[in-house]
Amino acid sequence: MIVAAAFTAWLGAAVIVLSDGRRALAIGLALTAAAFSALAWAGGEHLAAAAIFVGGGAAAVLRSQTGDDVWGVMPPGSTPRLILSLAGGLLALWIATSLMTGPGAPARFAALSVLGLMGARILTETKPPALLTALSALALSVAMVSGMSGAGAGPSPYIAAAVVALGVSVVHAAGPDGA
Amino acid sequence: MEPELAIALPAAGSACAAMLKTRPKAAVVSAASLGLAGVAAIVVYAPGSTSEQLGFAFSVSAESRALVIAAAAALALVVALAPLLVERATLLTWGLAGLSGMVAIAAATSIEIVILVVLALAALQAAAPGKRPFATRLRGPVLAATLLAVAAAAARSDGPSILSRLAAVALVAGLFAALGAMPYIHEFDAEERTATSPVPWMAFIGPVMVLAVLTQARALVPSEGAAVGAMMIALGLINMLWGSVASWRTEGGAAAWHYSFMADWGLALCGLGLAIADGRRAAVLVLLGIVLSRLPLYLWSRQALREKRPNDRPINLLASAMLAGAAPFAGFAARVLLLRGATQLYWPLALVIGLGLLLWLPPSLRLGRSLGLPRGRQAWGVGIALAVNAAIGLYPQPFLSLAGL
Repeated sequence: MIVAAAFTAWLGAAVIVLSDGRRALAIGLALTAAAFSALAWAGGEHLAAAAIFVGGGAAAVLRSQTGDDVWGVMPPGSTPRLILSLAGGLLALWIATSLMTGPGAPARFAALSVLGLMGARILTETKPPALLTALSALALSVAMVSGMSGAGAGPSPYIAAAVVALGVSVVHAAGPDGA
Repeated sequence: MEPELAIALPAAGSACAAMLKTRPKAAVVSAASLGLAGVAAIVVYAPGSTSEQLGFAFSVSAESRALVIAAAAALALVVALAPLLVERATLLTWGLAGLSGMVAIAAATSIEIVILVVLALAALQAAAPGKRPFATRLRGPVLAATLLAVAAAAARSDGPSILSRLAAVALVAGLFAALGAMPYIHEFDAEERTATSPVPWMAFIGPVMVLAVLTQARALVPSEGAAVGAMMIALGLINMLWGSVASWRTEGGAAAWHYSFMADWGLALCGLGLAIADGRRAAVLVLLGIVLSRLPLYLWSRQALREKRPNDRPINLLASAMLAGAAPFAGFAARVLLLRGATQLYWPLALVIGLGLLLWLPPSLRLGRSLGLPRGRQAWGVGIALAVNAAIGLYPQPFLSLAGL
């Protein structure tokens, strides 16, 4: 189940990377949040799991209500994004399982793959809905990084990440390219 | 409970100022009251003590507390003596939001919280009306957050020693990306409002953020202290040279100010990288100078820059002397401490830093002239900024004691 959750987190991030429409972006964010929540629950962090589930889920619901009402999965010219999703996943898998050692490889893979893919998405994207969705998922992955230490960081980073993910979803860009 | 109040009250003040935008007087009074209450909370707070009233641990170091107080004083100065074309309510909205984020960063007990606050501030700033596109404004802080998170992941995992070295590299890279210093210079638009420009990352939030991240770095990568210091000194020197030469040679006046912040940061990062008491003292003095003097002077120079009316009055020369770090201003004391620290560590480094310091003079003359002829509130503001800077330069110990040094 933990391994499935880790791959689901990567899948959610890949959907966010490959999509432009609000429906797909919301589903990608929901998949990532659900997977992170399952991983935190499996790690014994029940309050953290609940926070990630509520914050990430609410952010996904808000995302499904703003932006272009289309799926927009793999629009023309998205081959580089597809390669990024696969290569990013493979690189994260190698780092989490071979370079880094010790227990918790699935959680490491999930956190690193989402972190890398969302960082790359934000640095290469220009449309606010996709940027804000990626920012929400990035915030959730930062919280997962805190769980990588043996001692555990407690629920505070997860709660803060949930608040940031939710807060980012209500942001409306007012700049020259604002939605 | 003080750190919690110091986060919540300025945030509430910022929200009040934003909501009461149509009634500027009410906005200013309510926001200023809440902001002052927040500052009072951080002033009475005993540095280093941990507060867990809400179930989460908050602790602010003496250095961060000193810089938060300095930032609050700078905000008060700029709001009280705001340039004629700038609305006080707008200044308070953004200034108090930044102050709240700053205390949250300073009080964070893990690097992940610091990263999350940086992301929240980046989203808030990027969403505001401004000239640069939304994506452009997000890029620098998000790159910083990603690099810092990679550093935390690498430091927290078991594995070969290369992981902790990778963590050190990512930490330093993340710091420079967050500041917008070389080699991650944030895109700058001279016509953009200061609040939505890259300047707050360098001159308002930056000082506290850097100190908070370096505090966390000591716990994350304890074995890589020397590597982190060496990278900070190397990149600090590059920023000193690049910032001062670019500030001198660039065409735009506002861009020259932007580069001058970078040059000052080079000095501060060299001091922090030295990892000895004198270096740290020098860094804190430079950071106090950035927050209390250089930032307010930049804000007051904006109108003269727009109107393109430079001046060569004595006040401009005094401002130039302050910006160049001449005696008796704070920059001079900082430079003496930095050179002393560098000599203790490795004397050729002091030679390089000493030669680099000469590059401050031409851009500082240019920046001093760009203030134009300050009149009214602006003249009072420039005078106060110069007096505060001279007081820090003449009597640095009380300010260093406030920072626990």
